[in-house]
Amino acid sequence: MIGLLMFLAALILLVVGYPVAFTFGAVSIYFGALAALFELLPDGGVTLVDWWDEFLSMFSMMPFRIYSIMTNKILMAVPLFIFMGIVLQKSELAERLLESMGTLFGKVRGGLAISTVLIGALLAASTGVVGASVVAMGVISLPIMLRHDYDKALSTGTICAAGTLGQIIPPSIVLIVLADVFQLPVGDLFKAAIWPGMALVGVYILYILVVSFLKPSVAPALKPEEGVRYGASVKKALIAIIPPLTLIVLVLGSIFAGIATPTESASLGALGSLILAAIYRKLDYRMVKEASLETVKTTSMVFAILVGATAFSMVFIYSGADEIVENFMTQLPGEKWGFLILTMAIIMFLGFFIDFFEISYIVVPILLPIAQKIGIDPMWFAILIALNLQSSFLTPPFGFSLFYLKGVAPLEVRTTDIYRGVIPFIILQILVLASIVLFPALYGFKG
Amino acid sequence: AKKIRWKLAETWPSTLTPLASPPAKLAAWMKEMSNGEFIIKVEGKEKHKAPLGILDMVKGGQYQMGHSGSYYWKGKDINTVWFCTVPFGMTPSEQYAWFYYGNGKKYMKEVYDKFGVYNYPGGNTGNQMGGWFRKEIKTVDDLKGLKMRIPGLAGEVMAKLGVNVTNIPAGELYTALDRGTIDALEWVGPGMDIKMGFYKVAKYYYTGWHEPASEMQFLVNKKAFDKLPKKYQTMLEVGMKAAAMDMYIENFAASVDAWQKIKKEHPEIQVKTFPLPVLKALKKAADEVYDEYAAKNPKFKEIRDDYFSYMKKARQWSMMSQYYYLQTSKELGITK
Amino acid sequence: MLTKLEKVTDRIIDGVGYLTGVLMIWLILNVAWDVMMRYVFHDSSIAMQELEWHTFAVIMLYGTGYALRYNAHVRVDFLYDRLTPRKQAWINILGTIFFLLPLALLVIYGSWEFVMDAYTTHEISEDPGGLPYRWIIKAQIPLAFIFLIFCAFNFMLHNINILRGAEAPLPEPEEEVIE
Ligand code: NA
Ligand code: NA
Repeated sequence: MIGLLMFLAALILLVVGYPVAFTFGAVSIYFGALAALFELLPDGGVTLVDWWDEFLSMFSMMPFRIYSIMTNKILMAVPLFIFMGIVLQKSELAERLLESMGTLFGKVRGGLAISTVLIGALLAASTGVVGASVVAMGVISLPIMLRHDYDKALSTGTICAAGTLGQIIPPSIVLIVLADVFQLPVGDLFKAAIWPGMALVGVYILYILVVSFLKPSVAPALKPEEGVRYGASVKKALIAIIPPLTLIVLVLGSIFAGIATPTESASLGALGSLILAAIYRKLDYRMVKEASLETVKTTSMVFAILVGATAFSMVFIYSGADEIVENFMTQLPGEKWGFLILTMAIIMFLGFFIDFFEISYIVVPILLPIAQKIGIDPMWFAILIALNLQSSFLTPPFGFSLFYLKGVAPLEVRTTDIYRGVIPFIILQILVLASIVLFPALYGFKG
Repeated sequence: AKKIRWKLAETWPSTLTPLASPPAKLAAWMKEMSNGEFIIKVEGKEKHKAPLGILDMVKGGQYQMGHSGSYYWKGKDINTVWFCTVPFGMTPSEQYAWFYYGNGKKYMKEVYDKFGVYNYPGGNTGNQMGGWFRKEIKTVDDLKGLKMRIPGLAGEVMAKLGVNVTNIPAGELYTALDRGTIDALEWVGPGMDIKMGFYKVAKYYYTGWHEPASEMQFLVNKKAFDKLPKKYQTMLEVGMKAAAMDMYIENFAASVDAWQKIKKEHPEIQVKTFPLPVLKALKKAADEVYDEYAAKNPKFKEIRDDYFSYMKKARQWSMMSQYYYLQTSKELGITK
Repeated sequence: MLTKLEKVTDRIIDGVGYLTGVLMIWLILNVAWDVMMRYVFHDSSIAMQELEWHTFAVIMLYGTGYALRYNAHVRVDFLYDRLTPRKQAWINILGTIFFLLPLALLVIYGSWEFVMDAYTTHEISEDPGGLPYRWIIKAQIPLAFIFLIFCAFNFMLHNINILRGAEAPLPEPEEEVIE
């Protein structure tokens, strides 16, 4: 029960507006103290000293958890990609890339947002860490979309959604963890995720086209330069796209050619962005200094959230809330459609609050034997859960993508803009999820 | 009476069979045997999030028990490696004999005493495979510059022969092997390797030399254990021993099935044994590694001498009993 | 007096922040170097690979305090934004006392045994050719959280100075994350 009340408390305290990371930390401390008391009570005769010892003993696990974050080499993609994004932004190459791509759309509206989705998909293919791609996209394309009078909600929603593509387009941590839980080969799961990932990209783009067609003000077309013909500006745009796009292709190429692991490839991207900046004569001491300091701040913001969240999940598990969830899950119906719809709904709901890692290891193992008994194709089921968990990065109130983007967004972008912005994309996620449930064959599953 | 509530932290996610099986089984048995009076809550990596902090946490008392592998503490004390497995060391039956009826248990107690924990065997993976290779190893020279993920002592041995030992997080291993970022990696055996899917991206499956009998371990906080009533101490010790044996069997069975599946799906996979000159070079390098540690650490030398002298005796019996029987079955055409 | 104290602490934090910035550049070079050595020369060093995460860890740990000074930690702002600067300052002061400081103190407290275990056992890397002295990197956890407490005092000073009317509430605009 304490574990569940924690979420309510966190929700209320977050609204106060103190930094999210430390609010999570604080809620865990006060509820941790409460949980420690409840842990001791059944034995009777609890003294204040016992209580204090129990509490301290629980929190002395924090250094171990922090150390695990420190040693998680896959997270290194976060600073490396952020640095690349900031250098591209400061050297105005990002702007050139996006505006050129936008120009190619001519009078069609929403070009910048669509370009953002496409770049997000490319980044997604080179990292599986949400923090890395959301923040990099936030740095690269949010200011540009805002400058071109894009609607704040549409811009931030697009970035959060495009950034979380990294979790479904391989490589992806969600898929790796699920492969482990399902005991399926990682490679197979990666392959199975490609089409659903592409479908998401397609649906996002379609949505942007439709919404900007219906409501021109949310995503205006770029104004053509005075006196320049469309053909000429297309040529100019194509030339401008080449350098930064080469960079992204190099990053991807280094993974596919076996030169670097996905995480390592991010360092090549960072280095490449510096070289590009030098070619365009934008490289100087001030720029490098600012880029690295901003990277430090942003990376640390992500790190602090992870620290706060790990304290939170520690107390959640200590209080036995995981067992409540487990008991609940064992009572699911044993009939295919009821089971599928309910599990998807529950996972989506849990995703509002707890992180994908816990859902994967606490909830999924309970579902597996039931799914097996019903005869559900495990690969299909794994992808459905993956897509569902990917959405959990987007869902308020605790979707990490929202926090990450807020952390790098200009001051005029409010939390509410971002919350409003992701809602349509969450609906799109659900639609794609439903299409995989209803038409598994379309995506190559047995069902 | 007051219920006893313990917590056990394991290095693995709680779904990772067979490694996660011994704690789960032990907990279930303890509950039944004690009529629900002795409860062990097992927490996998997904809950404590500190897979390599188990020893410290059991020592510190945050958990009364742990389940892990002894060689993870190699960085704290090199002598912990003897209670897991070593390159060119004993087979599971030989090693168990050394543990329980030779000096193994005694040395284990000596080494782990300073950590404030009792330590018990926690399940064996059996002889591990030498790893998945993208190219064939024909000569010692083929090892030079080979990019391989191989941790621990075996990595040190390989490094001596010019192998480029590489650290890649488990989550990126498949991609790295698939793309050729690394040329080879070692994992466990068919039963666990199949889940990682390595057989889809590397054709050569080499037989083992480096981890002939990896033993997992149970760790128990000394103070907590000493406080237990005698009957629970016995129950726990018997339970741990049974759970350990059970994992050995479970993994054996898993490998039997997994290998059939791999062979059927990917008939092109070749099982290879390193050529004799390569094995000789590996053995020589291994001895050098042992010599270096022994020169620095007298305890290492003492245990090493005891371990290998026991192995020498035990191997004679293994040969007479198991090897020749397997040889016979081969000659009779029961196996290839 | 308080304004002056804030300025002094500002400078110390900026100094530490600058060093993490330098490390950031090092991190990029370190990782790229390891990739090149492995791919081109088939020769990579485990020590250099471990240096990657050591560097990464130090950046994030100390950067947490640095980010506090520049208000870079994300907030849920729909209420906060509507408050007066004085009320915001109060939230920051009280939040720091009741939210941030207890967390930092608990982490520091728990780290003692964590670091000492590594120190007394002379813990080194478990991988061949890895880095020795594990206690040094482990000790960065309590040290960085002590630094965080230092930054928290600076942050409170800043907010107290706002309450005293001695300082403008907004952070220096040129230090914003995005221009
Ligand atoms: Na990805
Ligand atoms: Na192994």
